[in-house]
Amino acid sequence: YQVQSAVTDRKQIVFTGHSLGGSIAILATLWFLEKFFKSDSKIPPLCLTFGCPLTGNRIFSHALGRENWASYFIHFVMRYDIVPRLLLAPIPSIEQEFESILQFFAAKSTNESAGGVPEEASDFHMIVMRNAASVATHAACNLMGSTNMLLETVTSFIALSPYKPFGTYIFCTGNGKLVVLRNPDAVLQLLFYSSQLGSEREVAEIPCLSLHQHFGYESELQESLEMQDVVDLKQLETLPLSAEVTGGDSATINSALNDLGLSTRARLCLRAAGVLEKRKQGNKRNIDAKEKDIHNAMNELETSYRAYCKLRKVGCYDAFKLQKNRQDFDANLKRLTLTGIWDEIIDMLKRYELPDDFEGQRAWVELGTRYRRLVEPLDIANYYRHLKNEDTGPYATKGRPKRFRYTQRWREHAEKMPAESSGESHFWAEVEELQAKTGNGEGFEEVKERVLKLERNIQKWVNGGEVEKDVLLEESTLVKWWKTLPQHHKLESCISGLIKN
Amino acid sequence: MDAEASPFETSEMLAAFLASTPLLSDSWRLCDVANATTPRGFVMSVVGDVGYVAFSGIQMAGSLDPGCGNLVPLESAGNGLFLPLHRHNEGEEPVMVHAEMLHLYLSLHISSTFQIQMLALMEQSKSIIITGHGIGGAIASLCALWLLCNLPAVSSPSPTQVLCITFGSPLLGNASLSRAVLRERWGGNFCHVVSKHDIMPRLLFAPLPSFSHLHGLLHYWHLSMASPSDNLVFQLRNEDKAELLRFVLLHLQVLALDEQEAPTSTSFWPLGSYLFCSQEGAMCIDNAVSVVKMMHLMLMTGSPSSCIEDHLMYGDYVGNVCVQFLKQRSFMQGDLPESSYEAGVALALQSSGMDIQESVAGAAEDCLKMARRMGRTPNLNSAKLAIRLSEINPYRAQIEWYKASCDESDDQMGYYDCFKQRETSRRDSTVDLNRYKLASFWNRVIDMLEKNELPHDFHRRAKWVNTSQFYKLLVEPLEIAEYYRNGMHRVNGHYLSHGRERRFEIFDRWWRERRVSEEENNQRSKFASLTQDSCFWARVEEAKEWLDEARQESDRKVLALLWEKINGFERYARKLVESKEVSKDVVARNSSYSKWVKEYSALKSQMM
Repeated sequence: YQVQSAVTDRKQIVFTGHSLGGSIAILATLWFLEKFFKSDSKIPPLCLTFGCPLTGNRIFSHALGRENWASYFIHFVMRYDIVPRLLLAPIPSIEQEFESILQFFAAKSTNESAGGVPEEASDFHMIVMRNAASVATHAACNLMGSTNMLLETVTSFIALSPYKPFGTYIFCTGNGKLVVLRNPDAVLQLLFYSSQLGSEREVAEIPCLSLHQHFGYESELQESLEMQDVVDLKQLETLPLSAEVTGGDSATINSALNDLGLSTRARLCLRAAGVLEKRKQGNKRNIDAKEKDIHNAMNELETSYRAYCKLRKVGCYDAFKLQKNRQDFDANLKRLTLTGIWDEIIDMLKRYELPDDFEGQRAWVELGTRYRRLVEPLDIANYYRHLKNEDTGPYATKGRPKRFRYTQRWREHAEKMPAESSGESHFWAEVEELQAKTGNGEGFEEVKERVLKLERNIQKWVNGGEVEKDVLLEESTLVKWWKTLPQHHKLESCISGLIKN
Repeated sequence: MDAEASPFETSEMLAAFLASTPLLSDSWRLCDVANATTPRGFVMSVVGDVGYVAFSGIQMAGSLDPGCGNLVPLESAGNGLFLPLHRHNEGEEPVMVHAEMLHLYLSLHISSTFQIQMLALMEQSKSIIITGHGIGGAIASLCALWLLCNLPAVSSPSPTQVLCITFGSPLLGNASLSRAVLRERWGGNFCHVVSKHDIMPRLLFAPLPSFSHLHGLLHYWHLSMASPSDNLVFQLRNEDKAELLRFVLLHLQVLALDEQEAPTSTSFWPLGSYLFCSQEGAMCIDNAVSVVKMMHLMLMTGSPSSCIEDHLMYGDYVGNVCVQFLKQRSFMQGDLPESSYEAGVALALQSSGMDIQESVAGAAEDCLKMARRMGRTPNLNSAKLAIRLSEINPYRAQIEWYKASCDESDDQMGYYDCFKQRETSRRDSTVDLNRYKLASFWNRVIDMLEKNELPHDFHRRAKWVNTSQFYKLLVEPLEIAEYYRNGMHRVNGHYLSHGRERRFEIFDRWWRERRVSEEENNQRSKFASLTQDSCFWARVEEAKEWLDEARQESDRKVLALLWEKINGFERYARKLVESKEVSKDVVARNSSYSKWVKEYSALKSQMM
């Protein structure tokens, strides 16, 4: 209720929390974004966390990137604070020591001057750091493009934590400076490397600091806000590698990196994260350049192939399935060309080689929807023409290519439709399967529900212009099958009117 | 934006990853136990989800001298335990391994306790690490090879993972073995830890039978492994150590300076990945030529005593490397290069402890750079292949079109016979050309896969499994037709055993190994679009020959055998036709198969 009234008053809402409170703030912000931001409020919320443990996995981070919400989340992290790194260790590995650490936290949060750190602190820090090292070096091997097969084998022998950072991170160096970092791959590396020991003397110090700093946000940030010494790390791929100051812009960046204790290796890892980001943007540019080819191929299918099919008085689906003439062969070639381009895009998406926001872009969602509606029926026709349903199984469950699944999901996300509802491009598969079941005129009762559902959908889609009217031509597979259905059903069917016309 | 060369040095990062896991230290600990408590045997242990098997480094059986570098072919000496490794390409040597190591492993293998305990371990853990120190490592490698060769291709719910980690173990086999292992995609299952000066992994680069003090060396090591803290009375003479070091270095140098990619003569060659460790750090290299060079360069910085003692220092090295994650380690030596790759190389060099030694630093840097991935990333290669595939799909579509018209044509011969008996016509020569272009493409795919230029899971990706299967079913009949049309069977032998191109066998394997969720046994209502056995027509051709032979054969025994084969084929083919697993060209009235059926019934009734 309070949130609703704030929205109506057109106020910006800030969700915030320390430690676990931060995780709750994140979830609250997400709730707000889902409920209000997409429809009512145009004022973005802000989520500020302090010493918050990792809350989501890689897919979570990707989804936020897709919706362009990542910039609404800002996480403050003290350099040695162990809580933001905690979940880089799988829970079973820290269970034993965790009890006493938690007790210490509980005591400290109520009474500031609570006593010394528990003796498990040192072991605890070591375990978290070891696991963080595994996560970070594993990620770095992938960022840097290692092709050694040993990497994959070893990974399957250990348990790596699935938690990943997302959003914008602000690291507090400990002497008042603030370092801003937005690239999640880089943040992961930084979480590990900034917590390394610089010398022997620190072996005893750091574990204590890692616990105490969790409560140091207020004083640290007061100092920082006065100093206003903020370094925003961009262009990661050209970060200075050597700790010596070189002058100019690099000097400020370098002193910030030094204050975080980043070794040469650490800087190489950050550079690798930057290179990946650049590569994703490069890939995006390459894909954008292919847009024209997609349009061309689709335009030809839409105009000349459709016209030809109209002359033959069968819909595109059936003409393509029969493959009688040169035009059908050519249409098949176009279909194969488009398949190649879209498969390349989907492949890149699966490997996270495109920027996160790609799947949310209006232009691509629309292009994907147009492609699906135009070409998926042809793919289905090809499938059933080659009797692949008897080789492998029904198209919908066993044969449907990812390029159609993905583009369907894009649309459903963008227009807030329920999952699986945008099925106008593959209803032909259902027609073929139902035809097989009712072919001998007997199996109707079994599949009655499916038939009814299909008819309702067809009615909706034809009337809404999502499906072409040529599916209702007299010689089409759909109509020919429908006519074999029992009389009593046809009389009451919702699409009988459409078919008569 | 294609990066042509890898922009980062990765061998050190991989070593850091490995060191951060408990796998190295847990393996070593068990090796230590095996050395001390079970000479000539092995120990097993379970840590969490992972099962460990460690073979003792003390493994001399009586009069056998494991120092002799005799190689034996795996096919003949391996007792049939390593079937997938028998194959080798034309012009290559057969796969060979060290004779005595194989013997040692085989004698362990046949003992019933070993088999029982292995099975028990595999039931308990879904991941197995096989490990060993020194000779124990070589035995571990053989054990790992045996497991990999015999694990069911798809065991449910997920196949058992196998990793072999060895410490200071001697080389196991020749270059053909390494190539075969790479072809089977097992290169990532072997990690050999080699300390900077340890002479044991380098011994077999030199022809050793002439070296008489080897026995003494092994004896010294064994004593030290068994009781590490005792003060040993037995020691090698300093002159002997120096001579050994010189001898090995000499031969290693020849090999290392040889610019060829792989040796052509029968000699030992690296297998899998090598983790080189020194006091300063570690790095992990899988490029075999780089491994040989690195072994040479590091040994050059050693002394006669260090090259012996380093074999016993793995505990220290592993312990050191496994805690390095905790501290910042920065670059010490002067100016850092600005390029990411060069800086990475400099750091790796520092970790190998070779940057300060002028004599070897330059060569070591070159050696690392040689291991750099040149060319596109595997993922990019895969993406480019997908585009190339869509470019050649029209050729495949044309062949599909051709098949359809053959099946519809008036002469009712069907696809196979149409092509086999074709006159020269434009349409047919186009088909021939397209067949050739498709073969070219798919051979290139296989080649890239075996050279590790494609992603490791490429052959499990649905798109490629399905596309290759479709290609095989569509085009292999044409290959068979061409083979028999040209009478190749009279020259080389039948297609099935002598004429079949390798890519089809590989595609068979991909199809067999694909993940299949519950099989629904659906009856076919019409003949399949493509005959589901792509070698069907080759079987028909063989059956034809059997019938011809049967007509002329007088010897009763031979005749009986022939009829057994003929009847076998008849049953098989009939079943296929009845379940409609064949395309309609098989049952066309004038197809080779239909004619065969007629001849078969005629001959059979004659026999009655």
